[in-house]
Amino acid sequence: MSKFLKAFLFVSLVFAPFAASAVTVASWGGAYTESQQKAYANTYSDPSSIVFENYNGGLGEVRAQVESGSVTWDLVDALPSDAITGCDEGLFEDISAEIAAGAAPGPDGESMAEDMENNGLEYHSGWDCCVPQIFWTYVVFFDPDAFPGEKPSTIADFFDVEKFPGKRGVHTWATGIIEKAMVADGVKPSAVPTVLANQTGAIDRAFAKLDTIKDDVVFWSAGAQPLELVKSGEVIMSIAYNGRVGAANLAEGANFEYIWEGQVLDQEYLCLMSGAPNRDAAIDFMFHASTPEAQAEQAKYITYGPMRASGIPIIEANEPWGPGGVDIMPHMPNTPERLKVSIVSDPQWWSDYGAEINERYSAWMGN
Amino acid sequence: MPIGDMLLRSVDDSQINTVFPKTFEEYRKWDKSKDELPPEEVYKALFQELASGDKVKVGRALTRMNYSKSGWKSLIKKTSRAIKKAVKKDELPDNYKEFLIETNEKWADPTYWYAMGQMINNTTSIYYWNAIDRTFDENLNVVQQEENRRVYVQTWIKTLKVSVYVTAFCLILGFPVAHLLANLPLRYSNLLMIFVLLPFWTSLLVRTTAWIVMLQQNGVINGVLVWLGIISEEGRLSMVYNETGTLIAMTQILLPFMILPLYSVMRVIPKSHMRAAQNLGAKPAMAFWKVYLPQTIPGMSAGGLLVFVLAIGYFITPELVGGKDGKLIGSWIAYHLKTTLNWGLTAALGAILLGFMLIFYWLYNKIVGIDNIKLG
Repeated sequence: MSKFLKAFLFVSLVFAPFAASAVTVASWGGAYTESQQKAYANTYSDPSSIVFENYNGGLGEVRAQVESGSVTWDLVDALPSDAITGCDEGLFEDISAEIAAGAAPGPDGESMAEDMENNGLEYHSGWDCCVPQIFWTYVVFFDPDAFPGEKPSTIADFFDVEKFPGKRGVHTWATGIIEKAMVADGVKPSAVPTVLANQTGAIDRAFAKLDTIKDDVVFWSAGAQPLELVKSGEVIMSIAYNGRVGAANLAEGANFEYIWEGQVLDQEYLCLMSGAPNRDAAIDFMFHASTPEAQAEQAKYITYGPMRASGIPIIEANEPWGPGGVDIMPHMPNTPERLKVSIVSDPQWWSDYGAEINERYSAWMGN
Repeated sequence: MPIGDMLLRSVDDSQINTVFPKTFEEYRKWDKSKDELPPEEVYKALFQELASGDKVKVGRALTRMNYSKSGWKSLIKKTSRAIKKAVKKDELPDNYKEFLIETNEKWADPTYWYAMGQMINNTTSIYYWNAIDRTFDENLNVVQQEENRRVYVQTWIKTLKVSVYVTAFCLILGFPVAHLLANLPLRYSNLLMIFVLLPFWTSLLVRTTAWIVMLQQNGVINGVLVWLGIISEEGRLSMVYNETGTLIAMTQILLPFMILPLYSVMRVIPKSHMRAAQNLGAKPAMAFWKVYLPQTIPGMSAGGLLVFVLAIGYFITPELVGGKDGKLIGSWIAYHLKTTLNWGLTAALGAILLGFMLIFYWLYNKIVGIDNIKLG
C-alpha cells in the first residue's frame, strides 16, 4: 500500500465520524437561528455536533429531498401547517412513541403535550413528528412619538381610519390579518378560530372589514420592512413579527409600543426528516431543544415566547432575563393576561383553506 | 429532462386513484342526475379503503384532494380517526352512508363528492385550467372559478405588462449609454463601464432596498423635490409600494443586460459608415436612422430578449417594492412550490410561462429573424 493511500485512509478514519455525526438543522437564518444556536446548540452536551443551515421555509425542499432519496437535513424548523402536511405526507417521520417516552415532562409532571395545551394549543398531527419551539406573533406596533394626542390601543383602532388617519402597514399574505379583521369586527379573540371554521360567511365578513382600510394600507412582504415603514413615517402603525419589534426596542434603542389585543400567535416546530442521516442523535437534540429550560433560554436572545407554558414561570422568576439586564416579560407574547386577548392561529384550518384564502386575498389586494 | 418532468407533473393525477381505486370504481356508477348523493356502495368502499389505507399514502392523497376543494384534509383525517376507532372496537356500521354523515355532516354535502370526481382519471388538464382561473363542475365541464378567487389571469396580464414595459425602458435608457460607451475614448469609456458593472455586481437585495430608501414618501427623491419647491409637503409622490416602484427598480436592475450586448455590437460598427452616409448627402438624423440603427438590431434583440426573459420570471424585487401590485406570476410559482405543495399547478404555471417564451421567440423569428441576434 502506498504511503499516500495509507495517509488518506488514516485521515478519513479519523475525520469521518465527526463529519457523519453532525446533526443538520434547516432553519430560517438571521437573528432567529442565532438564538437557536445560543439557546439550544450551545447548551447541548455536544455543541459542535449541531450544524444550522438556512432555508426559506415551506416544504418544497423537504419533499424534493425525500422524494429523490437523498436526505441531507436531519431536522427542519417548520411552521405548524407545514408540520401537519409534512407529517401527514410522511415527509417527516412519525415519532409519537419516542416523544411520549422521551420528551422532558413539565415541573408538575405534565407531559409535553399537556404543557402545550396549557398555553392554549390543541393537538394536531404535527405533534406526532415534531417538538415545539416558540410562539411568534403578528402584532400591531407604533411609534408613540407619532401620536401627540390619543394613542391607538385596540385592534379596532387599527381598522379605524377616521379616529387615526394615516397609512397602515399590512403583509401581502392572508394569515394573521384575517383573524385581526374578525376581532376588529367585534368577535371575541378566543372565539375567532371557531367562528372562522364554523360560521358561513365569516370570511366574507373579514374581507368586508378589510375593505374599510384598503385605501390606507401599504403592503409589505419581508419582515424587516414594517420597522422601516414606521421609522420613516411611511405608515403610522404596522403589523409585524413581534421578534423584530422586540429586537428594535432592546438592541437598537427604539421605543415602539405594541397593541397586544388581537395579536395572532403562530407556532414553530422542530421536525424530524424521514430518512434523516443522523436520526437518533437528531431525536436526542429534539428532546433537549424542547425542555422548558431551553425554551426559556431562547427568550434571552429573541423575544419569542416558549411554546411550553412552563417556560414562562422560569423567565418570570429570573428577571431581568434579557440582554444587558433588561426585563424580557414586557416583550413576551404569551403571558397569561396577553393570551386572553390573543388569537391562537389554527394551523389545521389554514392547512385546509390557506391556498383558497390566499388567492382571494391577492385578488382583493390587486384589484 | 427537468422540463419533461415539469410537463409530466402538470398533467399527472395518479396521486389519489391508486389510493382509492374501489371508491372510484363505484363512483363511476353514480348517476348524478338521479341521486343527489352517491349510493351506499361508494360510502362503503371509501370506508374500507380508509380503514385499510396506508397512512402516508392517504396523507399524500389528502394534499391533492385539498386542491380540488378546501376542507378535504381535515374531513378525511377526522373521518379516518372515527373509522379506525370503529374498526378497532369491531363495530362495523350497518349503513355506511349514515355512519359517515353522522361522523361529519360534510359527507352529505354533494360538492365534496363533485370535487372528488375531478380526480377520477390518471391524467388531468385541471391544473392548466386553474392557472387561468377556470375549474371543473360536477360533470367535468370547464367553468369559471368563483369570482373572488380569480387571481391568475390578472397576474398573467400584470406580469406581461411589467415585462414589456421594463424591456422598453431598458432599451430607451440603455441605447444612449451603450452608444456613449462604444464611442468615447478608451479611458473615459472604461470608467463609464465600471459604473455600468458596479451595480451589476452588487447584491440584488441591497439594490432593491436602496430604491425603497430613495423612493419612499420621506425618501431622498421626495425630500429633494420638496426642498426645491417643485412639489408641496402634502403632494409627496408615492413612487414605491406600487407598480411605479416595480418598474423603476426592475429597470435599473436589468439595465446591464441590455447595455452589454448593445455595447458589444455597437463597438464593431465602423465609424466610417456614418461618415460615408453623411458624405453621400444624408443629414445626421437620416444617417443614424438608415445606416447606424439597422446595424444595432442584433444587439437590441439580444438585449431585449435577455431582459424580457429575466423580467417575466422575476419576483423578489417586485414583492419588496411593489406593495399591493407586487405579486407577479413568479411569486405564485414559488408559493405553490413551497407552501401549498401543489406541484401540478406549479408545473402548469411554469409550462404556460415556457409557452409565452416560445411564442415570443417565434414572433421574434418571424419579425427580425433568429440569425439576427448577436451577443458580440
